[in-house]
Amino acid sequence: MQRGLSLESSKSPENLRRDRINRVFARAVIVPTVLALALIAVLILDTIYDTVSVQVVEVTETSGKSFPLGQAWNAEQVIRLELLAQGLPEEEVNRLMADPEEMRIFGLRNRVELMWATQDGPLRWVVSSIDDERVSNYSLLEGLRRWNELKAGLQENQQLRLNPWLDQSFLSRDPSRNPISAGLRVALFGTLWLLTMTLLLSVPIGVGTAIYLEEYAPKNALTRFIEVNLRNLAGVPSIVFGLLGLAVFVRGMNLGPTLAAAALTMALLIMPTITIAAREALRAVPDSVRLAAYALGATKWQTISKVVIPATIPGIATGVILAAARAIGEAAPLLLVGAAAYVAFVPRGPMSEYTVLPVQIYLWISANLSEFANTAAAGIIVLLLTLAGLYALAFWVRRRFRVEW
Amino acid sequence: MSTSSQNANSWAKKQPGKSLSERLIGTGLFILATISVLTTAAVIVVLFSESFQFFRQVPLTEFLFAPEWTPLFADPRYGIGALLAGTFLFTGIGLIVAIPLGLMTAVYLSEYAPFEQSVRVKGIMELLEGVPTVVFGYFALLFVTPILQSLIPGLNLFNPISAGLVLGFAILPYISNVASDAMMAVPRSLREAAYALGATKFEVVTRVVFPAAISGIVAAILLATSRAVGETMIAAIAAGQRPLLTLDPRETIATMTSYIVQAATGDQPAGSLASRALFSVGATLFVFTLTFNILAQRVVERYRERYE
Amino acid sequence: MIQEIAIGHQTVRREPVPAEEAVVQVQNLSLFYGKHQALYDVSINFPRNKITAIIGPSGCGKSTLLRSLNRMNDLVPGVRLQGKVIYEGIDIYDPQVDPVEVRRHIGMVFQKPNPFPKSIFENVAFGLRLQGQKEGLEQAVKQALERAALYEEVKDKLGEVALRLSGGQQQRLCIARAIATEPPLLLLDEPTSALDPIATERIEELLLELKKRFSLVIVTHNMQQAARIADRTAFMHLGVLIEEGPTNEIFTVPRDPRTEAYVTGRFG
Repeated sequence: MQRGLSLESSKSPENLRRDRINRVFARAVIVPTVLALALIAVLILDTIYDTVSVQVVEVTETSGKSFPLGQAWNAEQVIRLELLAQGLPEEEVNRLMADPEEMRIFGLRNRVELMWATQDGPLRWVVSSIDDERVSNYSLLEGLRRWNELKAGLQENQQLRLNPWLDQSFLSRDPSRNPISAGLRVALFGTLWLLTMTLLLSVPIGVGTAIYLEEYAPKNALTRFIEVNLRNLAGVPSIVFGLLGLAVFVRGMNLGPTLAAAALTMALLIMPTITIAAREALRAVPDSVRLAAYALGATKWQTISKVVIPATIPGIATGVILAAARAIGEAAPLLLVGAAAYVAFVPRGPMSEYTVLPVQIYLWISANLSEFANTAAAGIIVLLLTLAGLYALAFWVRRRFRVEW
Repeated sequence: MSTSSQNANSWAKKQPGKSLSERLIGTGLFILATISVLTTAAVIVVLFSESFQFFRQVPLTEFLFAPEWTPLFADPRYGIGALLAGTFLFTGIGLIVAIPLGLMTAVYLSEYAPFEQSVRVKGIMELLEGVPTVVFGYFALLFVTPILQSLIPGLNLFNPISAGLVLGFAILPYISNVASDAMMAVPRSLREAAYALGATKFEVVTRVVFPAAISGIVAAILLATSRAVGETMIAAIAAGQRPLLTLDPRETIATMTSYIVQAATGDQPAGSLASRALFSVGATLFVFTLTFNILAQRVVERYRERYE
Repeated sequence: MIQEIAIGHQTVRREPVPAEEAVVQVQNLSLFYGKHQALYDVSINFPRNKITAIIGPSGCGKSTLLRSLNRMNDLVPGVRLQGKVIYEGIDIYDPQVDPVEVRRHIGMVFQKPNPFPKSIFENVAFGLRLQGQKEGLEQAVKQALERAALYEEVKDKLGEVALRLSGGQQQRLCIARAIATEPPLLLLDEPTSALDPIATERIEELLLELKKRFSLVIVTHNMQQAARIADRTAFMHLGVLIEEGPTNEIFTVPRDPRTEAYVTGRFG
């Protein structure tokens, strides 16, 4: 066989095969990324899709009227129309509407929504009562496909509507065993409380640890041990932190299933994340700047507190926001330290019982009622929007305040 | 020293209060730094003291070899095998998805993607990492499972296949991040040597970059395995909470984590055997994940040494 | 004229600076990094209101000597030191002396401009704030910036982040920061090595202006620079102070063959 460079040899079947594999591979490597993107897109679209369902509802006497959008522009006007339609005299309606307590009770018993489609026509205000009986709940596609059939089959007192689960009042309603009136208010407040308490505990510990390791720690076995330990702690599954919290905070310290126990647990969980971010930020500060401060007669702590820390605040803030995002989405450890309980009230302080967004979503998913899947979807959209807001904030802080050395 | 007396009232004299407060700050920071160590210690003490109590009542042979895990039954059995089998199915399916996809992504990031594109790909991976796992669980149960049920006869509503599939995407970023770092650390000269011998890019990647980065790739897989074993919400929502000693992925199973969730959402008084059983599962889970993490760190340290 | 011929670690001396004209007296200073000795028995007086340049090949110990004058070497772990550095009548290495206080009295400017990531104003005010000064900061900052020949360029943007200034402006800002507290002695560690020729010229002009008010010690690897601005020059080699005297004598009639080799460009 002749060996040497020729046009023939470069077109040999073997080389053509190699070339083909090479080109196929170059295309194939992007496939996983496309798949990942597709998964995220499908996940979001599917969840949005699940926030709307078609319902057949059997209404009670006090509800069931619908009003066209032209008659009322906000929920308050709808309530007025509803009360008038119930046959109450004008002064009585005015009195009720001026009384916040009466309105609260109305809000607990009823839900006012702008629905995209009802049997009476598109875009109508519907007042539903929690005593209404859900006859059936169909997914959006199936419901629309069978719209006419369902409409024809309606009995007296029954209504057909396209129910948007994620509406304005979803955020302000309390939890309920009835999906139609279940809302996120308690979980939102719980998340806010828990996040605040967790950050108050974990930021000083995490940042302090980082400052010690970067600025003070001598290079010895103890320091190495702390570093290895931090890395391992970051790899411990979050549910194990839940067991720790259950044994130490809920039972050992007798805090019970309270916000305090949950915040301590979550603080330990996200502390390594904050430490790692803070250490990176501290390392980015050049030594020359520290020397400049020392040369001006600053003590070690003055150098750190007046020069180094201010320069790291954008970096640390970004890390803290990302850790907060992680904490907000975390459900597993909280199931063990009390969040799984049915909680009907907004927390009043650290010793209150609580629930949080992802746990509320989990409880809805595991409830055996198809409408709760719609409620869960609505909750997920709220959770994802919250996270998107936090990520955007982190991105903005990093962009806006980053120190260019 | 002759200057000492002069120094006694000079401008430069040390002020004991100042150096004391400086030292106190250092000590305070050190105490904060020990909290992480105390946390680890507390995890170990809690898990193993409760497990110790558990094993005083339940023989180790029962734990290792009993075919069922039913602590709440009238006739309780404590065979961890049922939970390990479930964990194995869930994790295994997740890794089958995540390893090829994650490594391909890593190759794309380190060898193919132009800079701007790689920033975008990393963004997508961060997005995947940022999705709360309860959301993934929802997606697995209510989107993936119905589709798979129409394809796979006999598939239960709760099953490790859909849960594992979605888990694969959840842990994909861990593999792609660590593996692409390892591949980027492979010296350029190695690649150029292979190109100079007439290798195609595919051959350079598979025969030079991959073997050179193998320890980083192994570490990536170990880390992802640790994550998968500890992943809770996807398993609890979509794979099931019913322990079953089976390797049939169509069945409803329970992983160690999903069992912990199931047990915790019920009510078990402290000190009861069922509660101690819960902690023994936690200890087993902890040992598994820690082992994978430590192995991964060992492997990473080894390849760092090789190229630095 | 006193003369000594260099033997071992001995220094070739012309008329040394008389003690009463010296701002700092270094006496028999030896310095060790762990086991490595970086300075060998250095003795030198730095004159008041003059510029003294320390020259020598890299690694000769010139920066180490400079950093011994304000105890910056203390920040390096494992440093040991013998001998005395007398400043304002005090041995700054006396165990009772607080190094932090020493650094407040002696200013320092580094090789690379190292402004803090703060506003221009806060950079200059930093040393004053450390010393507890709360009033008259505006006036003091303005004065320091004027003395550093920077005020006209930045007077409208004192609130802006200092990192946005050009390299030369940053270095003048660092000088302003160092002199804001009016330290009698200013140490400069190759202050122009990271700057372009035009910025370097401005800094040199500035240093000549500053010596009316401050005493300056400058480490430089640039012999032309030493020749242009220094009143006295010290040549160091391998941790030993080889020769020290008025600049023109060091450059025109060096007495040690190593000095001659260095200033004529045969090594270094």
